[in-house]
Amino acid sequence: MAIWLDASCILIVFFSLAIISTYRTVGMIRVFALQSFVLSLTPLFMHADALSVRDATLFVGTLALKAVLVPYILTWAIRHVSMRAETKSIIGLGASIMGGTLLIAGAFWVASSLKLPGTQVSDLIIPCSLATVLMGFMIMVTRYRAVTQVLGYLVMENGIFLFALSLFDAMPLLIEMGILLDIFVAVFIMAIVINHINEEFESAPAASSYSKMGESP
Amino acid sequence: MNGILPVFAHLAIVMALSPFFFGVTARVKAVFAGRVGPPLVQPYFDIVKLFRKKCVYSRTTTWVFRASPVVVLAAVMAFSLTVPFGEIRAPLGFPGDILLAAYLLALARFFMIAAAMDTGSSMEGLGASREAFFSCFSELALFMNFIALASCSGNISLSRMIGEEMPLSGGTLTPALILVVSSFFILLLAENCRIPVDDPDTHLELTMIHEVMVLDHSGIDLAYLLVAQTAKLFVFSAIVVQMIVPGAAGDRAVGIGIYLAGMMFVSILIGVVESCMARLRLDRVKYLLLISFGLAFFGFIVSLWRK
Repeated sequence: MAIWLDASCILIVFFSLAIISTYRTVGMIRVFALQSFVLSLTPLFMHADALSVRDATLFVGTLALKAVLVPYILTWAIRHVSMRAETKSIIGLGASIMGGTLLIAGAFWVASSLKLPGTQVSDLIIPCSLATVLMGFMIMVTRYRAVTQVLGYLVMENGIFLFALSLFDAMPLLIEMGILLDIFVAVFIMAIVINHINEEFESAPAASSYSKMGESP
Repeated sequence: MNGILPVFAHLAIVMALSPFFFGVTARVKAVFAGRVGPPLVQPYFDIVKLFRKKCVYSRTTTWVFRASPVVVLAAVMAFSLTVPFGEIRAPLGFPGDILLAAYLLALARFFMIAAAMDTGSSMEGLGASREAFFSCFSELALFMNFIALASCSGNISLSRMIGEEMPLSGGTLTPALILVVSSFFILLLAENCRIPVDDPDTHLELTMIHEVMVLDHSGIDLAYLLVAQTAKLFVFSAIVVQMIVPGAAGDRAVGIGIYLAGMMFVSILIGVVESCMARLRLDRVKYLLLISFGLAFFGFIVSLWRK
């Protein structure tokens, strides 16, 4: 199963890159759901020879929360405020993609000098989780809209989750569930925050933004 | 004599098989659209029909316009000599021939663009400028792919990078291979003017890149360009198949069977992608090619990491 684990690590990083290069909010949420789905499969691949209840619980919990509930809430939030426009990036998509690839290189470089206790199932987990965290950071700082910043935060959380998985055997389940709950609460609060922000935007005079309608970012 | 024969055999394979796989892609697209579609051998008919026709030249054109179909076909055919086809080894191979391959493609593209500019038509100029712009990005991605493959295999000869000596499938470098294959597939779609980048079926000047550049070619010249186009698609698909199944199945017949099945699969996959995707807006194409570059770069890093 090592190959499957490698493939899912790579897919997770690829989906982060795909989120960076997506310009539609709904598309970003869909890619995020895919990333979370792949992430939920990783505990199964990790202990494929001896699956425990713990793995199954983690799989079901991650799948339900990250791949279904969170994307659903986010989609609901943007539908609720009827905002489906293209998202803007501060540095442009091309520079974002190049920055993302540089972050991947940086993550591998950092990971090469990172010594962690315990044996790893796959040596790709640590660098891939670092790359995902870094790209999540990048989404957070380069996007204007609140929804996309939440998405960046969630991508970062996915990276942290993958990192935690590599220390799976040394850590109690409590911490992982704590991370899941953390995200759940964060999204819930953020959704409310987004609603407020957008309601305030709606009441504000939007003449300056109307003049730019139809232009490509 | 011994050196010349494989070259002709190789060229004959490309000429004979490439229109068929072109037809397979067209058929898949037709089936997806709910039509019966043209027969699988339709591209052969097209080529034969064009070969029987005379060329018409505009008075504004010069020798560049007349030379370009010949140069394009010659460059693509020479490029095909560096690529092995399954059990059949590449007749042309030396350390560093990846540069030759890349620049043969660039030569073909340059003459294509020059001929389009030579007609003096503003529409063809539009296509030429788009082609030049996108090729900047696709060449970047192509070289990154070659670098990643070279790093995986420890060779800088195209036929060895993707040939039998390549111990990729099943080894520790498989993650890198997955990335390079997906990157190269995007590149295949872009280089051969397939749908996310260019639509081979439309003749609407706003959307097309390759088709607009061949508008003024006619008769045998157009036949040359069509052969070159099918051959280029064939060779790119061959590289993808070769990366996934590096040959060495033992039995020769089994090897050829696996290879043809792989080519069939890639052709069908191209058709499916074309049917399921919309064309990208022109200013988004560069992001797709940058993603292709990013994937190849990631593959390169993983290959370094795993070594």
